[in-house]
Formats: sequence, structure tokens, C-alpha cells
Amino acid sequence: MISSVNPALKMVAILIPGVLLSFSFDIFTPLIYLIFVVAFTFMFSKISIKKWLLLFSPFVFLAIGFAWMTVLYTSDSFAGGRVLFEFWWFEVTTGGVMVGISLALRSLCFVALSLMFILTTDSTKFMLSLMQQFKLPPKLTYGILAGYRFLPTFKHEFEVLRQAHRIRGIGRAKGLKGRIHQFRRYAIPLMANAIRKAERVAIAMESKGFTGETDRTHYHQMSIGRKDWAFFTSIVGAFCLVIIASYQLGYLNIFGVQF
Amino acid sequence: MMRQWKLKEIVLMSIFGVVFAVIYLMFYFFGQGLRNFLTPFGLAPFGYEVIFGIWFIVSIIAAYVIRKRGAAFWSELIAGTVQVLIGSPAGPQLIISAAIQGLGAEVVFLATRYRNFSLYVLMMAGMSAAVFSYAWGWFQSGLAALTPGLIIATLTVRVISGALLAGLLGKYISDQLAQTGVLRGYALGKEWEEKRDKSA
Amino acid sequence: MINQPDLNRQQLEPLIRVENLSFDYEKKAGSSLIDDVSFSLLQGEVTLLLGASGSGKSTISLCLNGLYPEAVEGYKKGDVFFRGREIRQFEKGELNQKIGIVFQDPESQFCMMTVENELAFTMENIRIPQKDMSSKIDRILEAVGLKDFQKRPIHQLSGGQKQKVALASVLLLEPELLILDEPTANLDPVSSMEFIKLVSELQKERGMSVFVIEHQLDDWVLFTDHVLALSQEGKLIADGRPDLVFKEQLAMLGAEGIHLPKDITKFPAEKHKRLADKAPRFLERTISISHLSFKRKGNVILDEIDLALHKGEFVAIVGENGAGKSTLLQLMAGILTPYKGKIDFLNKSLKQWREQELRQKMGFVFQNPEHQFITDTVYDELAFGMKLNGTGERKMKARIDVLLDHFQLQNHQWSNPFSISGGQKRRLSVATMLDETPELLLFDEPTFGQDAKTTEELMTIILELKEQGTTVVFVTHDMDLVDQYCERTFVLDSGRIVFHGHPEKLWKNEELLHTARLRQPYRIRKQNLKQQKAGETYDLVR
Ligand SMILES: Nc1ncnc2c1ncn2[C@@H]1O[C@H](COP(=O)(O)OP(=O)(O)OP(=O)(O)O)[C@@H](O)[C@H]1O
Ligand SMILES: Nc1ncnc2c1ncn2[C@@H]1O[C@H](COP(=O)(O)OP(=O)(O)OP(=O)(O)O)[C@@H](O)[C@H]1O
Ligand SMILES: [Mg+2]
Ligand SMILES: [Mg+2]
Repeated sequence: MISSVNPALKMVAILIPGVLLSFSFDIFTPLIYLIFVVAFTFMFSKISIKKWLLLFSPFVFLAIGFAWMTVLYTSDSFAGGRVLFEFWWFEVTTGGVMVGISLALRSLCFVALSLMFILTTDSTKFMLSLMQQFKLPPKLTYGILAGYRFLPTFKHEFEVLRQAHRIRGIGRAKGLKGRIHQFRRYAIPLMANAIRKAERVAIAMESKGFTGETDRTHYHQMSIGRKDWAFFTSIVGAFCLVIIASYQLGYLNIFGVQF
Repeated sequence: MMRQWKLKEIVLMSIFGVVFAVIYLMFYFFGQGLRNFLTPFGLAPFGYEVIFGIWFIVSIIAAYVIRKRGAAFWSELIAGTVQVLIGSPAGPQLIISAAIQGLGAEVVFLATRYRNFSLYVLMMAGMSAAVFSYAWGWFQSGLAALTPGLIIATLTVRVISGALLAGLLGKYISDQLAQTGVLRGYALGKEWEEKRDKSA
Repeated sequence: MINQPDLNRQQLEPLIRVENLSFDYEKKAGSSLIDDVSFSLLQGEVTLLLGASGSGKSTISLCLNGLYPEAVEGYKKGDVFFRGREIRQFEKGELNQKIGIVFQDPESQFCMMTVENELAFTMENIRIPQKDMSSKIDRILEAVGLKDFQKRPIHQLSGGQKQKVALASVLLLEPELLILDEPTANLDPVSSMEFIKLVSELQKERGMSVFVIEHQLDDWVLFTDHVLALSQEGKLIADGRPDLVFKEQLAMLGAEGIHLPKDITKFPAEKHKRLADKAPRFLERTISISHLSFKRKGNVILDEIDLALHKGEFVAIVGENGAGKSTLLQLMAGILTPYKGKIDFLNKSLKQWREQELRQKMGFVFQNPEHQFITDTVYDELAFGMKLNGTGERKMKARIDVLLDHFQLQNHQWSNPFSISGGQKRRLSVATMLDETPELLLFDEPTFGQDAKTTEELMTIILELKEQGTTVVFVTHDMDLVDQYCERTFVLDSGRIVFHGHPEKLWKNEELLHTARLRQPYRIRKQNLKQQKAGETYDLVR
């Protein structure tokens, strides 16, 4: 199961194709890899398809928008091929369309990889494995965790501040101008409170005997084992296979250079 | 390298990272809207460039408030990672972009040996982050596929945006915060107190 | 019932020795906030620190474990020794593993997301082997009554539940000195008693020292060995055995505004008793609620609540931690929206009110005072509502001066609301709601953390408002307060109103008191005690 893979290694595993994909400008590579990632996600996790689709589908629209823009503004080195049609001063070429679709597919690959990570990973454990396996100093690890704790309370904090304003007689803002004004009125206190929290949390941590020493026991003992490497190999290996395949089939395009 | 850092500074830096991760994500969608708005005018590539500076702001704020080696780099890296964790469409490579942007800001502070935090330096840091991020974007988000004229134009816009939205706005926000007195325990707050004591 | 320790203090080894300690938050000339204080805490003793609100109790406690002055950029003079060694000589963190502290503010002492991870964090710091952790977590959660909350995010707990988590994690530290800064302020009466018992048992078992700051000292004095008192000027004015201190220095402590053990003072219950018995003078409805239900994250918090309050009434809502009291109050104030049901305020549905109009007629005080604050100074905080209502400059100043004076905040009017003492924050949050004469005042535990004098002042103001027809609602864990002032009581238990009526009737219903984790007020317990023949040790758990 993906959810039991060591989170830090999982991150590295998805970072590698996540970065390398950026170099390909053909359609075949990202498409095949996207199919692989989605299939892998559903085969090895309990994520419900409905939830996944709900999260994924908005990005399809974003990707289409992105593709459209690229199609219109492709540079000459990429915009080879036949001219499909022209309007205003734009000239849409097959090369341009290819690059556009490639970029869209690539960004969907990113989303699929991120979703696979986010939906199967507990963020506390992620930080803990960064500390335990990747030797991030505990001071930084727990400092970040303490800050990260603020995230779910962020909404709560905002609610509280809004309630405070309401009981003091300031109603909900109406209109754009009111909203902007309200944003200003909230932003600074919200951040000021966050800073206060930072200070107090740090005091609280030290008062509980936190020293920042690496010598500590671990409640959640993280480790990297065979299963974790198997995951790593599948994700990275599959990417290599896709690259080789697209090279063999003559699709591979790196920076506009066809191989 | 975390030796000279106090725990409360680390927590503050990471809280900045978290807060701005949320803001960054909001700006991502705002930028999307801006681009769709600009597309009919043929200005779509500038949609993001105009607001690009906002994505460096946490570096500037963290460095300006805490004034320690690494503040600019780590805060940006944290913001990037948190964005991925809360589901940014830009995906995991955002972490790397964040690291590179943070590095861009950090080199400017390093060049001043973490002694000068004037507006000028802050704006320089914003601009440097812009240049670094552009260089990375060249590979990563397919900027290389744009026409040369457009490349020069977008780079210019991004650098200006970095100077204003990161440097200038970052300083403004930090100063506003210092005014509320919550930064007493940090370098910027102490500077404010000294100034106040002198003028009093 | 005051403990009469029979030890000869001189023979015990001092765990902490404080010598000529002075402390200030700001650099300033003249006398300090804490002024040249010296005392010792002995091995295995329970010490109680008394003092008016704002006298510097919390500040001292944070100086003992070396967190101050660095953590707040303060200015400290004098020395503190732990087992004969100056605390500055300890490595960072080393001392904190020996001295555990529960902070006054229950919300700001956590660094992990969930209850479980928070407790684990503490144990990791002192290197408890991993295999022992789970069982320890189970045991401590059992002890503080939070067994079902192990995986809960901390920010989703009620005020009292948070305080219990804070206690649990410090107890896991197994410190040599346990510092408790008003640890029971937000606990329901039974939890508070259970906690005190737990501490006294652990203290005996482990022989640790305990340093308690508490205004409500009645349950603590039963096993306190040593009493210290701070004056408003930050000087140490009492230091000795509790029986002696309370005998010899009683008048002086009283004059400082400190709560005294009820056992030795004439209890003022009778004074307001008549008032509480009077039938309501007005019959108009202020607020009425019907079939109100509320859910959070799918859990039913409130279930089919019905209640109606009248003009000029003073009612209390009581119940155990997590029963849903704060939630109910927030619904009444219209800052939460009901899942089901209807709330009418002054015969108009709450939804139909215009925000600003509603707020002029209704005041609300949060359980956590900090939630109330939206400006940068105490003065602005008080001026805020008046400015919004367009009160004239002159009138506003006059009103603010009165409020500052009543609530003893004159010296802090330019301080930041977040950096005043716990009790001062509470008073300020209450004061912000008293700028006008509203129709309805909703208070979520308005008296916790207050000394005797300010409680008195606060109640005087509230009774005045009540006389003018304001309906007052208190959510409180202080049964004596309910007994003295309230005409009606609502008991909330797992989201339902299981009792409403005159408090006197409630005190007689022992079964109900037991299930709702309430307790009889001191007056009734005393009466019962007399009936049971004088003298015998009285049962703590009643
Ligand atoms: N962080 C701070 N910065 C500035 N002043 C402070 C700060 N904390 C407390 N003070 C001030 O120092 C004084 C003592 O505060 P402290 O919190 O020690 O009082 P306390 O005796 O614990 O009171 P309470 O019973 O109300 O909790 C108060 O007047 C308060 O306003
Ligand atoms: N933000 C939240 N999300 C989910 N559950 C919550 C939240 N806040 C409170 N609860 C839960 O709702 C229940 C009622 O909470 P509430 O704060 O109303 O209790 P209370 O009666 O005021 O308790 P206390 O005396 O401890 O203040 C509790 O069980 C609590 O755990
Ligand atoms: Mg205090
Ligand atoms: Mg409550």
C-alpha cells in the first residue's frame, strides 16, 4: 500500500519524475506516464475514485487553459509543422498544438503525482521521516511541525477573528471595496496572532524539555525497508521505461529536439 | 547551520511559511483568472508575470524580521512544500522552484553579510529571486518555448514585480507587524524599539 | 480544614532557592514589577502562591524554570538556584525536564496537532523508550478522563478539555517540581476536584514538589505545606505555614484583595441570597429558543434545546467540560448558525437582525478572552464599540475612565491586550461589553482567574445592569457564584438540558449533580456537614 511507504522516500520518488518530466515536450511521454500514475494510485491505495475525481477534475480545466495559451505563443523553434489556422495575429501550427497538449498532459502528471502523495501521507509522519531518515535537525523538524500545526487552525483562527468583529458590531463586508477593506483589517491581526502563537509555542516546547538534541526516542518509528524501495523503483523505473519506449518509438522530444 | 537559531525564530519562520503558502495558493488561482482576462488582449503570458513577485515575499519578510542566515531560503522552501501538501496544482516540482527562488533572495542577503536590510537590499533580493526563478522556469515550465521578444518582456515584468510585490510590499507588511509590538523578541522588533527609545 | 504541616521546614533540603529576584518587562526606573523577592521551595512540599490579579504570580513561575527573561525579552536581577546550582548554569532544556509547568492560558501550550502526538512529544524529549509510550498514554488519558480523545486534533476540544491535555502532558514529564498556574480555572467542579486529588496522590507517591498558583484555593489548602503571597507592588508579604499565615495575616491578605479560605472567613452568601430568591420583576421575554440542534463534524453537540429567558433575569448554564455550554452561548449570540431550530431575540428572529443593531442590544464574552481582542491597546479595545456607535469624544473618555477604574486597568491602558496578565485579560474582555446597557449579556466563564476584590467589583456592575432590566447569562463552573446570584439554572449534559429551575432545587438533587459532574456550593456542604455532626473529616467528592 502506498500509505505505508516511508513518506520522505515517497517524496523523493515522486520528485524525480516530477522534475524530469519538465524536459519533455512530446505528447507520448507524459500521456503514458499519466496513465501509469493513475493506475498505480488506484491499484495500491484505498482512495475513493469519486474523491480523486473531485480533486482532479478542476485541474483538467486549468491544464486546457494552459495548453491554449502555449499554443498561441509558441516560439519558432517549437512551432514547426503545418499552419492549421490563423486569427488576429496568431498563427496556430501543428508543432504549437503538440507542445500545448504536451504541457497540459505534463501538468496533469504533476497533479496526479501530488494527489498520490497527499492523499496517502500524514504530514506529521512526513516531517518525522525527514528527521529520522534524512537527518533534518530536530529543531528544524519540530519547529516546522509547530508552524504547520497552525494550518488547520488557520481557518478556525479566521473564524474566531470574524466572530470577534461581529460581536463588536462589524458586519460582513459587502461589495468589492468592502471586501478589500475587510481583508486589510483582518490580515495584520491574523498574522500578528500567528506570530504570538509562534512565540508561545516555542516557549511551550522548551518548557516540555525539548532541547533540539538528536538524541531522542521516537513514538512513530519511521524506517525504510524493502517495500519502500519497491515503491521507489516502480515509480522511477516506470518513468525510465516510458522514456525508453518513447525514444524507441521516435516520439521523444527534449527541448524541441526530436530524438 | 541551525545552531545560532533560537527555537522561536524557527517556529516563526515556519509559521510565515505556512501563512504564505495559503496566500500563494490563492494568488495562483487569482493569476489564472488574470490570465484568462488578459487572453483576449493577447497579453496572456503576462497574467502571471505581473503578480509573480508575490511568490518571493515570504523570503523577504522572514529575512527582514529574523535576520539570520538561511531565513530567506528556508521560509520559501517551507512555503513551497506546504503548498504541495495542501494540494497545489503546480505539483511536487514546486518544492524545487521554491528552493531556487529562496536561494535567489538568499544570495543578496549573503552578499551583504546579513548586515544591511534597507529597502534597497530588500528590493534587490526580490529581483534576484525573480531572475533565479526565471532561469529555472526556462527549463521547467516551458518558458523556452516562448518567442524571444516575449521572453525579454516577461522577464522584465517579473523582475519589476519582484522588486515591488516582494521587496516593497514585504517591507511594508513587516513594518506594519512590528508596529503592533508582536515582533519584540525578534531582530526587526528590537530595531524598532531602539529607534523609539532614541526618539523618545 | 487548613493543613497543619508538622514538619520542621529547616530540616528539608531546598529544591529551589530564589534570592533577591527582581523582574521587569520593560526597562524602567523605580521599583520593579517583581521587587526583590526571596524564598525557598522545599523538596516534597506543596507551596501555594497567592496574590491579587496582576501582582506577578505567573511571571515568577516562569522565572523559576529559566524560560524568562529570554523568552519575553525581560530584565531580571537576582538568582534562582535549583538544587544549589544557579539555573543559568544548566544546559538549555535540561532544567525544563526537571521542572514541569502548566501555563495559565490553556490554548497556547501545545505544539503538536493531536492529543496523542502532543503527549508523545513530551515523552520523546525525556527519552522514554518507545515500547512504554502507548501504555503511558492510555493510563494518563484515563486519569484525566480523556480516553476517547486520543486521536482528536487539539483545536477541536473544549476549553476544559484542552486544560486537561496540558495537565496530562506535564504529568508525563514526571518532573521534580510541578508548577501549576491556575490549572483548574476551566475545569468543571468534579474534574477540578479529581485533578487536585490526582496531584496530591502523585505528589505523595513520587515525593515531588508542587508550586500552585490559584485564586480558588479551598480545595488546595487541605494539603498545602507552605504559603507565599505577593503584594500588588510585587513584594513578598507572606511566607510560612498555611495555618499560621491565615491566622496571623488574614486581614492583610484580605486587604490585598486575595481570596481567603472559606472555612475561616464569614461567607458572604447571605448578602445576595435574598436577591436570588426574588421572583422576576419583568415578564417580557428577552430570548427564546425552540428545538435547537447543532452539529459539528457530524457529531451532535446540542440536541433539541428549548429555553426562554426574561428581562432582568440572572441565569446560569452549568455542566461538565464538553457538554456544549460554549456552543449554546455562541448560538444565542448568533455567531454560530443552528443546524435546526429557532432563536428569537426580542420577539424577532435572530436572522432578521441587522448586525450593528443586534450588537448594541447584546453583549457576548468569549471563554478565551484573547478571542475578543481586535485592537492594539487596552484603551482602543474599550473605545472600539463606542466609536462605532458614534459616542462623543468627551463622553467616551469619561466612560472609559470609569471602566478602567472599576476593572483596575488604569496602569495598563496603553498596553497591548495580549500582553497583560491572565486575569487582566479576562476583565478587559468583560469590560469591552459594558460600554452600554444592553438587553442581553452572555458571559462565558467571566470570573475565572479573578481575585476576590475584582470578582466583587464585577458582580456589583452586573447586578446594577440587571436592576435596569438586562438579562444576564453566565456559563460558569463556580457553584458558589451560582448559589449566590442566580435565579435560575440550566444544567446541560451531553447536549441536552436535563434540569432547569431554582439552584436550591438543584443542590438537593444529588443524582443529577453526580451525572452532570457538578458539586454543591460551599454553603450547602457546610450545612450538611453540620448536620452530620461537627468535626469529622468531610468528604471531598461531594
Ligand atoms: N508579556 C508581557 N509583557 C508586558 N507586560 C506583561 C507581560 N505579561 C504580564 N505583564 C504585566 O505584568 C504584570 C504581572 O503579570 P502576571 O501575569 O505575572 O500577573 P499574575 O499575578 O499572574 O496575574 P493573574 O492572576 O491575573 O494571572 C501585569 O501587570 C501584566 O500586565
Ligand atoms: N471546533 C470544533 N470542532 C469540533 N468539535 C468541537 C469544536 N469545538 C468544540 N468541539 C466539541 O464540542 C463539544 C462541546 O464543546 P463546548 O466548547 O461547547 O463545551 P463546553 O461545555 O463549553 O466545555 P468547557 O466547560 O470545557 O468549556 C466538545 O465535546 C468539544 O470537543
Ligand atoms: Mg497569571
Ligand atoms: Mg466552554
